[in-house]
Amino acid sequence: MTDALRKAPLALPLLAVALVLAVTTNSFLTVGNLENVLVAAAIVAIPGLAMTFCLAMGEFDLSIGSTVSLAGVVCCSSIIDGMPALLAMALALVVGAVIGLANGLVVTKLGVTPFIATLATLVIVRGLSLAYTDGHDQIVSSAALKYLVGGRPLGVPMPILLAVLCTALAWWTVNRTRFGRWVCAVGSNREAARVSGLPVDRIRIAVYMLVGVAGGFWGLLISSQLQKGNGQLGMGFELDAITVVVLGGTALLGGRASVIGTLLGAVLIETIRNGLNLLNTPPAFQRISVGLLLIAALALLGLRRRTVKAAPVPVTVREAAA
Amino acid sequence: MSTTTETSTPVEPPRQPGQDRAPMARPSLGRLWDTWGVTAILLILLALTPLFAPDFMELENLQSVLRESAYLGIVAAGMTFAIASGAFDLSVGGQLALVSVVTLMAYSAGGTAAAIGAAVATGLACGLVNAGLITRLRVPPFVATLGTLFVFRGVAYILTQDGPKTLPYDQIDSPFVKIGGLNVAGLPLPFVIMLAVYGAAWIILRRTATGRRILSYGSSPAAARFCGISENRIRVIVFALVGVSVGIAALTYITRVWTADGSAQDGFELKVIAAVVLGGTSLKGGKGTLIGTFSAVLLVSVLNDVLVSQGVPSAYQRIVLGCVLIVALTIDGLRTRFAVPGSFRRAVAGLAARPSASGGA
Repeated sequence: MTDALRKAPLALPLLAVALVLAVTTNSFLTVGNLENVLVAAAIVAIPGLAMTFCLAMGEFDLSIGSTVSLAGVVCCSSIIDGMPALLAMALALVVGAVIGLANGLVVTKLGVTPFIATLATLVIVRGLSLAYTDGHDQIVSSAALKYLVGGRPLGVPMPILLAVLCTALAWWTVNRTRFGRWVCAVGSNREAARVSGLPVDRIRIAVYMLVGVAGGFWGLLISSQLQKGNGQLGMGFELDAITVVVLGGTALLGGRASVIGTLLGAVLIETIRNGLNLLNTPPAFQRISVGLLLIAALALLGLRRRTVKAAPVPVTVREAAA
Repeated sequence: MSTTTETSTPVEPPRQPGQDRAPMARPSLGRLWDTWGVTAILLILLALTPLFAPDFMELENLQSVLRESAYLGIVAAGMTFAIASGAFDLSVGGQLALVSVVTLMAYSAGGTAAAIGAAVATGLACGLVNAGLITRLRVPPFVATLGTLFVFRGVAYILTQDGPKTLPYDQIDSPFVKIGGLNVAGLPLPFVIMLAVYGAAWIILRRTATGRRILSYGSSPAAARFCGISENRIRVIVFALVGVSVGIAALTYITRVWTADGSAQDGFELKVIAAVVLGGTSLKGGKGTLIGTFSAVLLVSVLNDVLVSQGVPSAYQRIVLGCVLIVALTIDGLRTRFAVPGSFRRAVAGLAARPSASGGA
């Protein structure tokens, strides 16, 4: 495989899907539709970027779907109660950060497996947002909240601008900062990272908080789109966020982060969704296709690993203890 | 993924296999607690329930609690094997939905026998799909089953596009429907089936070579591989067992609720895993107790019944379940942190790479 292809392995499938859609439908290649695809991709990409850090660390956060609904519910009901919109939006991000902090503490201090810990917080937080709303919609009309998805500074939809900004920031963090190196170091060999004197627990908590804040922001974007908050929103979103990252080539066992891959993964998923919509497939197929994509991406990763298995594989404590 | 515990412990020299975690190891308070601890808590809870839920002890209520616990319990028995081998099956909720839908379709096509056959066969097929993804395509178990959770549910949605599948009310006397409603000597039939499943599961886990292999694989995949235990075979057996248990569970579930679609039993996987972990089966693999799982299932059902009878809304029930799970896992983590024998697996595992680490979890 050529180097360029390895760096952006999604470019080919993305082009292929786009080509098929351009031929089979006559509405795919319109400006409006492409913009829809990119806005949808941007909305998934932003939390996906945070999740990239989590997977690069060799861990998961499954609670993000619930964070989406709780943050949305808190923001919308605060606005309804008369809080200034900007303050309410900030509050939603704080809610996300607190959930992330809770995840981080449970995982590091109580020693609960991240995957189960965040599965538990997924249920707890979903319960909180259902209890908070009693299952009712929190419908708001707020110009500031609406601007988050609907605004077009410089003629470009706001989510796309934000996603580009976040991608640049994430790329810079992964490739140019100490924190990015630390995260990958923890992911590739936690024990070595600890022995080298890295504040492993604090790094892990920071990453969970990052995912929490991103989940809160995702909640704001969804609420901005729908103009409401609801305890049922965001169900199954954790699968989307993880699929985007895994599709992008960030290894499940940690140690490597592919920021551009995550961005391309988001575009690929949303292109496929858009295509399924244009081809009038039932909504159930869209869930199936995300599940199948996830499995396919991992199968490819697994097969690739199996081909290198003949060579001596570096033994990491993390891998051995997993 | 490892916990802080595992990596912070210095790697120790390998010991002989069988020195720890062998079924016949020395008795100790910790070991006694592992197996019977939840049973003790269950008995205490049962003794206390009359204080805050006076109606609990009435025969009808007890029967309904047992009837209700059956499908959870049967799947939890299968999941005990998966977790003891160091893997999860997250797709059980999707499996249950899909099996229920297919079973109802088979019943309307071919009657009771067809429905029972379809339930077990569909469950087995789901399990084999998972096993195939994990062994052939080398997808980590928990991501594979996270994916198939959505796939199975999606297929169930597609099969029920014209509306949820339901049993017609004129079938109330058919033998199929009786699976869910019948009482045998005062015990609900679903509960009797659950007892039988646990008996069979106990024999497989404790009295057969397969059961020992599953436990030793979960205890130390690397050591097990050195002893010639096939990883792929373990995976296939374990996920097939989960699938079959879902098939049997679906029979007790569907004949009680009469209806199924893709959204049936949302969040089921969490309840099952919670029950198994609560029962004392270690998430790190190598340790599985069916007595514990059985008691934990009843504990969850009793707790659930009490919460419902006290008028606690379902949103809060979720919160309670999540908290119970975190507490159970914290105890599990603490136990491992201070139990020296557990380091054996880490030590041996450190000798060899594990390309297919158990789902990274």
